[in-house]
Amino acid sequence: MKDINLKINGKSYRLSTNEDMRLIDVLRDELGLLGSKEGCGEGECGACTILMEGRTVNACMVMAFQTDEKEIITIEGLSNGEQLHPIQQAFIEIGAVQCGFCTPGMILSAKAILDKDTNPTREMIRQGISGNLCRCTGYAKIVDAIELAGKLLRNGGNNCEA
Amino acid sequence: MKKKGVGIGSTFYGTGYGNGFPDVSRAKAVLKEDGKVAVHVGATEVGQGSKTIMSQMAAEVMSIPLNDIIFICEDTKNMPDSGTAAASRQTYNTGNAIKLACEDLRKKVIENAFKELKLNSSVGLTLKNGEIYLKTLPSKNISLKELALCLLKNKELPLIGEGSFTAQTIEMDEETGQGAPYWPYTFNVYGVIVEVDTETGLIDIIKAVCAQDVGKAINPEMIEGQMDGGFAMGLGYSIYEDLGLKEGKMKNKNFTNYLIPTALDVPELEKFIIEDPESTGPFGAKGIGEPVMLGVAPAVLNAIYDAVGVRITQVPVTPDRLLRALKEERRE
Ligand code: FES
Ligand code: FES
Repeated sequence: MKDINLKINGKSYRLSTNEDMRLIDVLRDELGLLGSKEGCGEGECGACTILMEGRTVNACMVMAFQTDEKEIITIEGLSNGEQLHPIQQAFIEIGAVQCGFCTPGMILSAKAILDKDTNPTREMIRQGISGNLCRCTGYAKIVDAIELAGKLLRNGGNNCEA
Repeated sequence: MKKKGVGIGSTFYGTGYGNGFPDVSRAKAVLKEDGKVAVHVGATEVGQGSKTIMSQMAAEVMSIPLNDIIFICEDTKNMPDSGTAAASRQTYNTGNAIKLACEDLRKKVIENAFKELKLNSSVGLTLKNGEIYLKTLPSKNISLKELALCLLKNKELPLIGEGSFTAQTIEMDEETGQGAPYWPYTFNVYGVIVEVDTETGLIDIIKAVCAQDVGKAINPEMIEGQMDGGFAMGLGYSIYEDLGLKEGKMKNKNFTNYLIPTALDVPELEKFIIEDPESTGPFGAKGIGEPVMLGVAPAVLNAIYDAVGVRITQVPVTPDRLLRALKEERRE
């Protein structure tokens, strides 16, 4: 057992965790944040992608105790109440979601790309989401959506960046 | 050495269960008290977009905004069966059932409107943009919302339309191979340009185009999404994805060795939607779910043949398989 403090989507938590607990278990099983998906459980598919200290990580590959004093953003932290984040809005607009299993991870990878540069090339976008597998879309619409999201953000977005 | 080649792959595909197997979809359309229409159907949304296009179809028949359609699916307690989301059959089969159910409801709405409007008959009454009116005297009208309220007062709600559609297929004669096992058929063609590295056995797709017959595109954006997705799956099938089956056991059961294409592996696909309305389809539409992936592997394998003159007959064409084939070719 180890007690950890962490900040998820701007909210502070104090939790006692087992040694063998992964971050994805904390999110889904302890906190009920079911937006992050577990696909492969071995760091290959990216369905569990979240942002830790602003960088994408696979929540299935991070042990809970490693997240002590860390700041984490999950898909639940993106919208501002009913108001969607520009990336979410763009995914809907373009039709970049099919089954939706990859979507939460995809959107966080997109955020990491756009946090660095709101005007990335398509190649940079493809590079940035290459760790997120999608079985449905063939990625084209996802790349389109991230391009559109960049444009929304450059135009001031819809103001829901917390 | 890097060698370029061009290949095409063209397919036709019978959608639905086929071969005489009963292929039935059912649907219900219900007028609600606020004038909205609820569509109850057993079709399953798995990401292909059935909820969207079937709502569009219902809105079209009822001539009301898409937001006034309440689409309810995937609950066997509340809706009739529409068969599986398989065989690329939902657009055509269940689309037809929804169209029939809405047409049935539309007829009932008009019959009730003529009573409310105190006319002699329902002849010449039509439903458009949420209003039922007499074509020869449009001031004789009642909105769907008003009608729903009247019916509610008279305790005549809910008003229900029903539809059932069975695809026409005939079992093939085993002796002669004759029959009409499927209807309808969907056609497509893929064209690809590949670059084959004869040293490493790696295959690069430089350009890819797809022309897909859809009957009628109910939602072109979603069709494009299906085409992109089918292409990526077909590409994986052609050159990456290998279960490594040995004596019934899978060797490659993780994403480390069962490789599905990433965003860097899938080139942009140029897409052409071909519309040739199918007379028995709902608004002319046909299914494309499976067809969109079928032409990819033949196109890629043909392009490899064009590039290096080796006819490969096994997928996926992994680098080691290709190098082995090239070696054998040289030996002969
Ligand atoms: S579940 Fe974490 S990478 Fe697949
Ligand atoms: S939308 Fe289904 S896996 Fe990406």
